Amino acid sequence: MVAPGFDFSEGVYEPMSDLPPPTPEDENDFLAAELALGLAEGDDLARAQDRVRRDAVFGAQVAAWHERLIVLADSIAPVTPHKRVKKALLASLFPKIRVPLMQRLWVWQGISFAAIALLAYITVPMLRPPVPTPQGAPQVFATQLTGDVDDLTVLAVLDPARGDIALRRTAGAAPAGRVLELWAILPEQAPISLGVLPADAVARVALPAELAAQVAQITLAISDEPPGGAPAGIPTGAVRAVGAVSEL
Amino acid sequence: MDREEIERLIARTALKDRAAFEELYDRVSAKLFGVCLRVLNKRAAAEDAMQDTFVKIWNNADRYQANGLSPMTWLITIARNTSIDRLRARKKGHQDIDTPGMELTAPGPSPEQSAIAASEASRLIGCLDTLDSDRSGAIRGAYLEGETYADLAKKFKVPLNTMRTWLRRGLISLRECMSQ
Repeated sequence: MVAPGFDFSEGVYEPMSDLPPPTPEDENDFLAAELALGLAEGDDLARAQDRVRRDAVFGAQVAAWHERLIVLADSIAPVTPHKRVKKALLASLFPKIRVPLMQRLWVWQGISFAAIALLAYITVPMLRPPVPTPQGAPQVFATQLTGDVDDLTVLAVLDPARGDIALRRTAGAAPAGRVLELWAILPEQAPISLGVLPADAVARVALPAELAAQVAQITLAISDEPPGGAPAGIPTGAVRAVGAVSEL
Repeated sequence: MDREEIERLIARTALKDRAAFEELYDRVSAKLFGVCLRVLNKRAAAEDAMQDTFVKIWNNADRYQANGLSPMTWLITIARNTSIDRLRARKKGHQDIDTPGMELTAPGPSPEQSAIAASEASRLIGCLDTLDSDRSGAIRGAYLEGETYADLAKKFKVPLNTMRTWLRRGLISLRECMSQ
């Protein structure tokens, strides 16, 4: 073993004797570099990861090392992955299940029997709309909105032929002093407000015709907003639940 | 790669916009796959790592803005860390180095600080060349091969503490060279 302090005497690679002993700032910056390089181990790693979350200066030091070291990846040539990789990725993130309506509903995790009964109750009248659709069978779309902020869960059934959305909140509520606002998100567009949801668990909101025409592409999202809703018509609060609409 | 465009796509992905996510995939997957392949060397393993990388991007895009990193640094670092975690996964007592959102606390560095870091970065390679080849080799080995202190000590036939001192001196010299 080479004793600490003598370990760089061999070879004299750099004029180390010119360097002052490491300062506490150097020591901190070295910890930041170790974390960015993935060299931190064991307790050091856990401590450093925890510190990044709490210490903004240390976090900035780690970020600076990420930015410095990324240049090492510049020389790595891009390699086009096989098309099946994208397919597998999309299939794993957005599973498409083609099963009949009632079986489909059971697939949704976390739905209580009561919620299903209610969904059936609100869905069945929509399935027999007063105005028959040209193709015969009406198309109905639905989604379950969930998030990881809290347990807020909202079922939504969209009926483009009638131009409305039926909503049922099955878990969670607006945080104190805030309201829940529903948004429709379409590719390449700013979120479109569908209005503030009432405090009741059940609500109906209008589905504007221009959205009804693209219903299969809609992702619904719920954010918390100040009372009265987002002031400028764009979401300002946390996105508490989202769900991509699909055909039932 | 257009930084603003990639940032916009990440922001749309944070809103669970699938079309934006797919566009992001089309724009950056070749680079990220190259990184996974460089670390893992095997195509099947690299494909798995890249798929995992994009699942993390989809799930953590909303945490990107707070971390102060440039968009490509964030994306490449997730791909690199995911690949290295897989490379090390066989080892006993392995701890994930990856923190998918890489929340580097808010507020992160200002755009100005990031710009300074970026201009420093362009000097990295030149500065690595000024280091002793063993030391720059150790830094490259840690970054691109996911080598641990134990791996590096074995490779360069030096005790573990010596390796740590090498790395420390190498990194401090590197930072000083880059900030000149």
